[in-house]
Amino acid sequence: MDWAKISLDKVKDTRKERVDQTAPSISDDEAQNLIKEYHPDYVGNERRIHVGPNADSDPFPMELADLLESDSPVPKNFEPTVDIETDVLILGGGGAGVTAALGLADSGLTVHLATKLRLGDANTVMAEGGIQAALGADDSTRRHFADSYVGGHGKNDTGLLRHLCEEGPAGIRWLTRLGTLFDQNDDGTFRFRSGGGTSTPRVLACRDYTGLEIMRVLKNAVMSGKTQLLEHDAAVELTDDGKDRVTGAVLWNTQTGKLVTVSARAVILATGGSGQLRLQGYPTSNHLGATGDGLILAYRQGCSLVFPGSHQYHPSGSSYPEALVGQLVTESIRSAGAQILNVNGERFIDEMTFRDVVAAAIIREVVEGRGIETPTGRRGVWLDTPLIEQTKGKGTLTHQFPGLIHRFKRYGIDPTTQPLLIYPTLHYQNGGVRIDTECRTERAGLWAAGEVTGGVHGTNRLMGNSLLDIIVFGRRVSESVRQNVPERGAVTLTRLKRYRDELSGLPHKPETTAPQLYPRVSGMKFELKEIPKPGPGAEASPDAVKSFEPPDPFASR
Amino acid sequence: MKPDSESMEPKTVEITVAGKAIQAREGETIIHALWQAGRGHDIQTGCVGGVCGACTVTLRFKDGRRGGTDLACLRPVEEGMEVFPFPVDALASPPPVSDPDEDKLRAEFPTVDRCTKCDNCTIACPMGIPVMDSVLRMQKGQLEAVAEDFTTCIHCGLCRAVCEDKVLPHTMGIWVRRSLGLSVDHPALDQTREATMSDQEEQEWEHLLNCDDQERLQRAKAFRKEGIIA
Repeated sequence: MDWAKISLDKVKDTRKERVDQTAPSISDDEAQNLIKEYHPDYVGNERRIHVGPNADSDPFPMELADLLESDSPVPKNFEPTVDIETDVLILGGGGAGVTAALGLADSGLTVHLATKLRLGDANTVMAEGGIQAALGADDSTRRHFADSYVGGHGKNDTGLLRHLCEEGPAGIRWLTRLGTLFDQNDDGTFRFRSGGGTSTPRVLACRDYTGLEIMRVLKNAVMSGKTQLLEHDAAVELTDDGKDRVTGAVLWNTQTGKLVTVSARAVILATGGSGQLRLQGYPTSNHLGATGDGLILAYRQGCSLVFPGSHQYHPSGSSYPEALVGQLVTESIRSAGAQILNVNGERFIDEMTFRDVVAAAIIREVVEGRGIETPTGRRGVWLDTPLIEQTKGKGTLTHQFPGLIHRFKRYGIDPTTQPLLIYPTLHYQNGGVRIDTECRTERAGLWAAGEVTGGVHGTNRLMGNSLLDIIVFGRRVSESVRQNVPERGAVTLTRLKRYRDELSGLPHKPETTAPQLYPRVSGMKFELKEIPKPGPGAEASPDAVKSFEPPDPFASR
Repeated sequence: MKPDSESMEPKTVEITVAGKAIQAREGETIIHALWQAGRGHDIQTGCVGGVCGACTVTLRFKDGRRGGTDLACLRPVEEGMEVFPFPVDALASPPPVSDPDEDKLRAEFPTVDRCTKCDNCTIACPMGIPVMDSVLRMQKGQLEAVAEDFTTCIHCGLCRAVCEDKVLPHTMGIWVRRSLGLSVDHPALDQTREATMSDQEEQEWEHLLNCDDQERLQRAKAFRKEGIIA
């Protein structure tokens, strides 16, 4: 990183005097002003939409507004005929969906779980820092509530938040019974980390692979059960009975290109977030499929969205090297003592305050010319990771943050000696589909859990509350469905037809279809493939991919 | 501070994916190169961050350099690189047991002793896990060490796919981790089993909930300082 030598020397030179420095303090009012002036949610890149339950009320990010006013990819002449009949259809194969499936394991109900990618390829697996639960000696569920409520700017749905905090310890117990390993102290007690905005250490972790640990346990558990998995099946529409009750879904198989209709007595929406919409051109820490599909599906059924304009920009997305742009550098690295510095090696924000405040402070620093520019024109500020080796002892980073070391090592960057360049990255959808405390949406037959929902986190989520969200509400949704599963209804696209009528009245229509399914940058998109009918004596189609043996990876050993 | 952008312009390299050539910018990953070429569907992709294990590939170089296996979302492109999709299906495994030891492991995974120490699994692992050494530790019942070895396992399945003896390394890895995990006592969690709420708890909830939003925000700010009603 010779291009940044002058600035890196300053970081090195100031390190000694920064070791015992207290963090720059910021008052509540200053923090609010900082957010209003610099946080991407507030820059005004929004508009109202003119269809559906939120019509002409809340402002939406442009990208999401366009999708909500887009047509469905399902052809107009498509009449759903049931291919699969099940009791419960879960849409989404991340932490919330799989937790729900496990919760329904002994219910006697048949359960199908459909996921656009593979089981477990989701934001859950990418969560690094940890999961909150009020288990510490100085802690309580009320303190967890107060921290989350202040972090969410007092916009949180108090009913949902109370459940999140109160059922945290039981959620952790459930996870440990499944065999999840959390970091422990030498005496066998849980090791708690601090997160931005936690007033006492409350975050349980498995190094910097907490989401991976949880997801691989959930995935392993669900695979040995009776849940029917529909992988590579993206939900592109919900069906209804003609009387506003959700009765199933139309799936698009990404490998065959065919549509599959599922009839279900209950549908659980667990499709996750929307980072891959890359609002305002921001990079994202999210997985390939995070395109807000569930928001579109639920909205067309008449479900309203809570805080649709609120997104979390994680303060520490990687800004260099280019291949890692947008990828997460866990918040717990700051909790372990890494400081955030501008081009002159100066601290400018309390690293452990709320995420939206830290993100806004970084953006201000860059806007006002105190950032660092990379050879490809990206900008950022320093995260002084080598400081941890100095304050917490050599080897701390390698032991506590193996994921971080592993990822950067490939690109010749060693975080134990080299500060990382960071800039906010689109990380989490704070808002989403409105649910009640039983995870019911505003439409009968449709439940929802996890990142696709909105309300519990207000307009800013604390670290470690999203992994808890999927566990607590994944469990709650399965309980709620168990007790209220309706009888099977007719499978029609009545709501879609009505929505299309509404859309046709719009003066300007976006030329896209929604759900978007893939990030625009990937060039991947929805495509229906007609299956050629084999005629008599038909040969294999000329462009069919010939099967071949992949080369022996060890041939040249 | 501003870099000399001309000299920093990334070079273009040519790679092939499943036999078809694409142009890519040096330094970008195989997945990003495929996106640029409009061929995103050619390699199964998940997290794009090196932790889900969807985008496993085998690699070969025209000049005979060692190729091997990797994740397409993390591997930067290089001139002359030949990439082949190598998806590995996930595998269900036997349920975990409490207080695992080498006998219980052997009962569930009789193939553990078939390891011929070829070390293919270790070389195939994109996470740098000492897989073969860990299989030998499994044979000896050193399960705590095995759990530590597999802390960073993303279950891409490559170690299993390249094992000629069907030893199932990562499948045993998660079995060991889950078995140890569910055998740990957590007194802190058992305390929470009591569902009855104390008077103090009820008072604190009352204090935090029974007021308007503005007042609640002020109360929450005060409460979180010490965790008590000030």
